Amino acid sequence: MSGDETDKPKEPTFVERLKDAVRTDPDPLIGGGIAAAYVAWLLATARSLGFSRDEGFYFTAAADYKRWFQMLLATPGRALERSAIDPIWANNHEHPSLMKSLFAISHLIFKERLGIFADDSTAYRFPGMLMMGLALWVTYMFGARAYSRRAGVVAAVTLGLMPRVFYHAHLACFDVPIMAMWTTCIYVYWRAEKEGGLSWAIACGLVYGLTLETKHNAWMLPAVFLPHALVVHGRAMSRYASRGSRIPVPSSLVAMATIGPAIFLLLWPWLWNDTLPRIQEYVNFHVHHDYYNIEFLGRTYFGPPSPRSYMPVMIVATVPTISLVLFLIGAVDRLRVLLARFVVWSSARLGRSFAWPRVAPARDRAQTDLLVFLAIGVALGPFVLTKTPIFGGTKHWITAYPFIALLAGRGFDLVWGRIAGLLAARTSLDGSKRAIAQAAVGVACFGGAFATTVHSHPFGLSSYVPFVGGTAGGADLGLNRQFWGFTTESLAPWLEANTKPGETLYFMDTAWSSWVRLIDEKRIPPGLRGVGSPSEAELSIVHHEQHMNEVDYNIWTEYRTPTPAYVLTHDGVPIISVYRRPHVTRGR
Amino acid sequence: MKKDLLAYALAAVPLVGIIELVLHVKETTSDVVPGSDWDAARDAVKAELKPDDLVLFAPFWADPVGREHFGEPLAGLKREARPDETRFARTFEVSIRGAHRPELAGWRKASERSVGKVTIGVYENPAPVKLHQDLVDLVTPERMTVWKTDGASESPCPFQRTTGQAGGLGVPQGPAIPGDRFVCSGGAYVGVGVLHALDHQPHLCVFVSPQGAGSMKVRFGNVAFGSSLHGHSGVQWVNERTPSQERISLAFSAFDRPLGTNVHRVGAGWTGFELPTPDLVGRTGDLVAEITGAAPREYCFEADTRDVP
Repeated sequence: MSGDETDKPKEPTFVERLKDAVRTDPDPLIGGGIAAAYVAWLLATARSLGFSRDEGFYFTAAADYKRWFQMLLATPGRALERSAIDPIWANNHEHPSLMKSLFAISHLIFKERLGIFADDSTAYRFPGMLMMGLALWVTYMFGARAYSRRAGVVAAVTLGLMPRVFYHAHLACFDVPIMAMWTTCIYVYWRAEKEGGLSWAIACGLVYGLTLETKHNAWMLPAVFLPHALVVHGRAMSRYASRGSRIPVPSSLVAMATIGPAIFLLLWPWLWNDTLPRIQEYVNFHVHHDYYNIEFLGRTYFGPPSPRSYMPVMIVATVPTISLVLFLIGAVDRLRVLLARFVVWSSARLGRSFAWPRVAPARDRAQTDLLVFLAIGVALGPFVLTKTPIFGGTKHWITAYPFIALLAGRGFDLVWGRIAGLLAARTSLDGSKRAIAQAAVGVACFGGAFATTVHSHPFGLSSYVPFVGGTAGGADLGLNRQFWGFTTESLAPWLEANTKPGETLYFMDTAWSSWVRLIDEKRIPPGLRGVGSPSEAELSIVHHEQHMNEVDYNIWTEYRTPTPAYVLTHDGVPIISVYRRPHVTRGR
Repeated sequence: MKKDLLAYALAAVPLVGIIELVLHVKETTSDVVPGSDWDAARDAVKAELKPDDLVLFAPFWADPVGREHFGEPLAGLKREARPDETRFARTFEVSIRGAHRPELAGWRKASERSVGKVTIGVYENPAPVKLHQDLVDLVTPERMTVWKTDGASESPCPFQRTTGQAGGLGVPQGPAIPGDRFVCSGGAYVGVGVLHALDHQPHLCVFVSPQGAGSMKVRFGNVAFGSSLHGHSGVQWVNERTPSQERISLAFSAFDRPLGTNVHRVGAGWTGFELPTPDLVGRTGDLVAEITGAAPREYCFEADTRDVP
């Protein structure tokens, strides 16, 4: 070893650099820890959650797409031919490709190649779970960066402890992924506004493209960004405009308008041929989407006008009350700050002073609070329109929840601040005792939400918050108890004990592909044969939703009895009735 | 002072979480009615129930659990899919969570007791009736004949005992076609099934499904008449939920003279009718029902003969 080499400063190893980064900024690691713990929870509970209708369709689509990816690896030239693309990508082309492609790739890697997951379904579901991890990570980062580390943690906890979110986070569907991408896109845009520079702008374009490729909610994001950009950059824009020079549009917006659609097209092979007609078809499908049946306050809605009260009532009934209380506290605080900024701005513009605020609030060049409120407003806004279908329950405005959680985090900051103040006035706490007190307040706040979320599984869509009476309270109010027929798997113990191999079962609202997967993965007795009508079945089930009473009564007609052999309940509320064909001599 | 209050209010927020937890524990444990309470309630009702008594479960969403535990005949088809409550002398309301069925408004509460977490209320009909004949019971080849008329031509619809056709995967699927039915040309049929009414209640009734133009005639043999012909008509929910100008008429005749006509307006839901027959009290004879305008709706009716007070 030469003397020169020993004198040279030693390059830090990767681990050392990582340690240094964590010391400097532990937030990504904290957020990552929360996300990893949650994904582990999802994986641990995935086996006991049955398959929803839509999952069945996406499993099938992903299996098809997987064939294409395999072809792409083996014979790329052949895979890029129209005759190879169209038959495969025609499957489920009403939704973009990103998540179904990830489901397929996950299956290829984690099931077929590495054999990490025993169930095919878990391999398909895993990307959706990771998306929930991403949503939690970004929510934490946003909260930590915008308000405080404590607010970030509470925001992530608030989001994770929503029973409906916990349910959807298990699924190989698009609702949690779009929530994650919506939040990520807004976060990256916010960072671009704060940090500036080309890399954040390009990141905006990339993430927006992926968001477009996740679900059609992404097309609403300009309604968040444009008003926000106008407020932040409006002054500069008008100054340039008045000079007649080029208007300085933020580079993040330019990137989203250019890179975003390019990625949308690039990642969706279905659009590579007949591009414009197929985009038109995609748009038409969602603009003219069917209205499905959904019960609300004892009435089944199946078309417009949708009740304006649906969204607020369902939020109150399904989001843990403590989360909403903290959100309200945080929202009032931030609205007050927004209003104060507006008054200060008006005061400067009008050249007159106002009595309030006495002290001008700190400037925020990125207008974070405005962005958060826009993110909530744009996600919830369509649901005050009577033409908006409501059949998806809370999942259709799930994109608002991370931002509601952010403000809940801010609310917790204020609550803890008051409690800490009161404690300090009465006692002296050292750092560790203070931390314990803070944790205790957190546990007191979220113990109920945690218990409700744990207990909701695997009946997440039947669950209502304790303040409206829980599952039974939801039933009393005439609120929807489930959809998509995913609860069939919860019959497994009864079916194991009460059926024989070869018996036929009419599985009602469960999609055929979901049923096949339940059988394949032995989640229900594999000897059962599924059939499409009670007339063909020894056993028939009905998933209890108000409009599905029709099926219930049809079974009564067919079996000539209204007596179920078994009723699956959650907290005493019927979820599924099982009927067995009576073996009696026919005739009245 | 105001600031102090705000400080204390904010500091009290964790109480919301604690109350949420307490409520959750209560709602998922002590509030849930165990199966043993339902069984005990069944035994208590069974000991007192008479054939012309009704068993009702409250709230309505608890009905499947009630049917599971009470079974046949306590919670059989005739009680569960009743046309209305008027034919029953008493009702045993089996209730949880303090619920009460609105159908019993105006009924006198005779008694109430608790069996575990279940409450059994006995209610008396303020205007009991004497039932002579339920037409639904007469839908058999021995007691009923059906024919389809189209202009001047009439074709009989023979009775068939065959397999039923009950829906498919997904909804709406329309009513199940009963296995035992009178089958007419062109696929029309008459048979007993359970209607899913506009208010989502079940009603056992006679489905008349005429295909194409014309009308259907149903003759019930040897009907014992009372002072009134009491009945209902309706269309399957999926059709009824979209009101239209369509009218379906149900004309009754007996002893070669009309008794009256009920006209059902699509969108009206399960609606009742009462045709007075005071001059037929004590007589027995054939009753003919002619249904016109039902195509292509899934129309259903029921009627009984009774003495009204």
